[in-house]
Amino acid sequence: MGEKKWAEVRPSEDYFRILNPDGSVKDGAKASVPEVSREELLRWYEVLVETRTFEAMVLRLQRRGVLSVAASSRGEEACGLGAAAALQAGDWLFPAYRQLSAVLYWNAPVDRIMAGLMGNTPEHIREHLPLPPELPHSVNMMPYPIFLGAYIPLAVGCALADKLNGRKHVSLAFVGEGSTSEGDFHDGLNFAGVLESPCVIIVQNNQWSISVPASRQTAAATFAQKAVAHGLPHERVDGNDIFAVYDTVKKAVDRARAGGGATLIEAVTYRILDHNSADSSAVYRTEDEAEYWKTLDPVERFEKYLFNAGVLEQATKTAIEERAEKRLREEIDRGRAVPPTSPDDMFLHHLQGEPGWSVKHQRDELACELAGGNPFLDMTGEGVQ
Amino acid sequence: MTRINELPVTEDMNLVTAVTHTLRQEMQRDPSVRVMGYDIGPIGGVFRATEGLFDEFGPERVIDTPLSENGLLGVAVGMAMRGERPVIEMQFLAFMYNAWGQFIYNLANLHQKTGGAMKVPLTIRATFGGGIKPLPFHSDSTEAYLMHTPGVRVVCPSTPAQAKGLLAAAIRSDDPVVFLEHTKMYRSFREPVPVADYTLPLDKCRVVQEGSDLTLIAWGNMLHYSIAAAAAVAAATHASIEIIDMCSLAPLDVAPVLASVKKTGRCVIVHEARRTAGPGAEISALINEYALEYLKAPVKRVTAFDVFFPENQIEDAYLPSPGRIKSGIEAVLNYQF
Repeated sequence: MGEKKWAEVRPSEDYFRILNPDGSVKDGAKASVPEVSREELLRWYEVLVETRTFEAMVLRLQRRGVLSVAASSRGEEACGLGAAAALQAGDWLFPAYRQLSAVLYWNAPVDRIMAGLMGNTPEHIREHLPLPPELPHSVNMMPYPIFLGAYIPLAVGCALADKLNGRKHVSLAFVGEGSTSEGDFHDGLNFAGVLESPCVIIVQNNQWSISVPASRQTAAATFAQKAVAHGLPHERVDGNDIFAVYDTVKKAVDRARAGGGATLIEAVTYRILDHNSADSSAVYRTEDEAEYWKTLDPVERFEKYLFNAGVLEQATKTAIEERAEKRLREEIDRGRAVPPTSPDDMFLHHLQGEPGWSVKHQRDELACELAGGNPFLDMTGEGVQ
Repeated sequence: MTRINELPVTEDMNLVTAVTHTLRQEMQRDPSVRVMGYDIGPIGGVFRATEGLFDEFGPERVIDTPLSENGLLGVAVGMAMRGERPVIEMQFLAFMYNAWGQFIYNLANLHQKTGGAMKVPLTIRATFGGGIKPLPFHSDSTEAYLMHTPGVRVVCPSTPAQAKGLLAAAIRSDDPVVFLEHTKMYRSFREPVPVADYTLPLDKCRVVQEGSDLTLIAWGNMLHYSIAAAAAVAAATHASIEIIDMCSLAPLDVAPVLASVKKTGRCVIVHEARRTAGPGAEISALINEYALEYLKAPVKRVTAFDVFFPENQIEDAYLPSPGRIKSGIEAVLNYQF
């Protein structure tokens, strides 16, 4: 471990905020509290509880060796949820890395997520955890990308396809602040501007891309202002304030749907925990800043608001927590019960139709090896016996 | 599949007019086909491959884009996964290196990553190859980079009629296809091309000439140099040379190569790509693995060298010429174990 660490630069809090960290409504912001039904507010709260519960369960499973790696969105949950709640069924959602709350809001099947974390192929998961014939109305969710920023041009094209065909759908994509340094981010924004693509790009600025702080990603004052050069409108919001995120994204989504083009939104938040279970943030940063950000926690803030507003009471909170715990445990058990994927699955779905001579031959080689044979005895190309 | 020689009405076309003709026909047939790229609108492409299409189909079917290969490819993949059939023009294959991320992460991987749930019916038209003495990075023949990536088909026509059938098949394919257009061949010769629409298989090579003494494998412009070299050798020696047009580079059509080499016992592979880890390395390795006992001579590769495509004055020494190919054929034919 080196001795030097990065100095942290606290981002400006000169951003759009509705809820104060103590759950009160910011002075003068009362008029801008978004109109959301009591049921919807409780749904948001439930998704936040589920997100936190599931990620804690997954982290424990990783520590027990059940999963090879696990990441958490703790402290950032309002970004994904506030944005996802602004979408409509039929829209498209391109997650980046820490948007579990977004997909849970739209009823992503947790058993399938678990089976995916266990390293099963999509084909295998589909076979063992079939979806019900009547799917709930939902958005279209892209799989987690792993690569950084490369979904941004894709989301722009996806939205453009809807526009060119007169469909009123919006595509929403997330990117971390580190990935704004990737060319893909700028390619996407540039094309979105020129082609007037109905999409919304959200920079979930959690201050750290593994070990590199936001101050080393850009010399610009904010990530939001990167939209200026691409001719796009931009907003910068308190990413730990679910009302601010929802309200801002909703306006951007509505504008895109109405033909007004793309918007870039920076949601300012903080990665409280390590990058993932393979990381140790103590190596490169002091923990003081994380302590500060814990006082801005998005879930506690929203919970306080709900209590103050009379939407939530202790009995309801306990019931939501118990229901989440029970449901997630069952879903995780179902995901873990999926039998191991066959190695042969690796050959599936690279091309439609015939995969070609070499892939067919290699597939036979692996089958031969797994059956205890020597796969290298074909000297004439007539096939592995 | 319709046989080309059963289509009586033809027009004389060169490679570039055959491409334009096919694009127009496919766009008329299917409204989801959209041509995209930079310099493809009013100018009609720097080689005029999209000439007239902007006027005929308008800016939503012929989309002039900002100048970024990576942005172009990524946005087009996003459209393709939603049911559009974009045909994007990579002005030069060497310009596509900027799009490496989108090529692998999204174009090639999306179908597999989603367990087959999403598909990417996208065609990349990329010009490639040397011989017209342009600027640096306008002549690269780096199809091996593409062939090393799973999830993508790569085809390379060597005649206008073949170009029409392969391009139509590429556009109609639900797989991503890279369609390589050799710049030297764009206007080098014309041939009768059937006017009615037809497709050719994307995964089958073509035996141009049957023979019994040596298998000569080439594609693109090198096929024409190889045909000339083979004719020169045959005239002098009466050797019987089998010529295979390896138009389907990925997946590689292996079986006809092995069958041919088992028959002839000798093989020369010709390509403009650099030699080390080039397509010829794979073909030679397959022959070594599966036809060794039939060989009467080592397999030789007549290729470009492992250097950057050189300056204009010396590019003729870099590219395999008919004379160099002839030397390769003679060396293998004359070899005695």
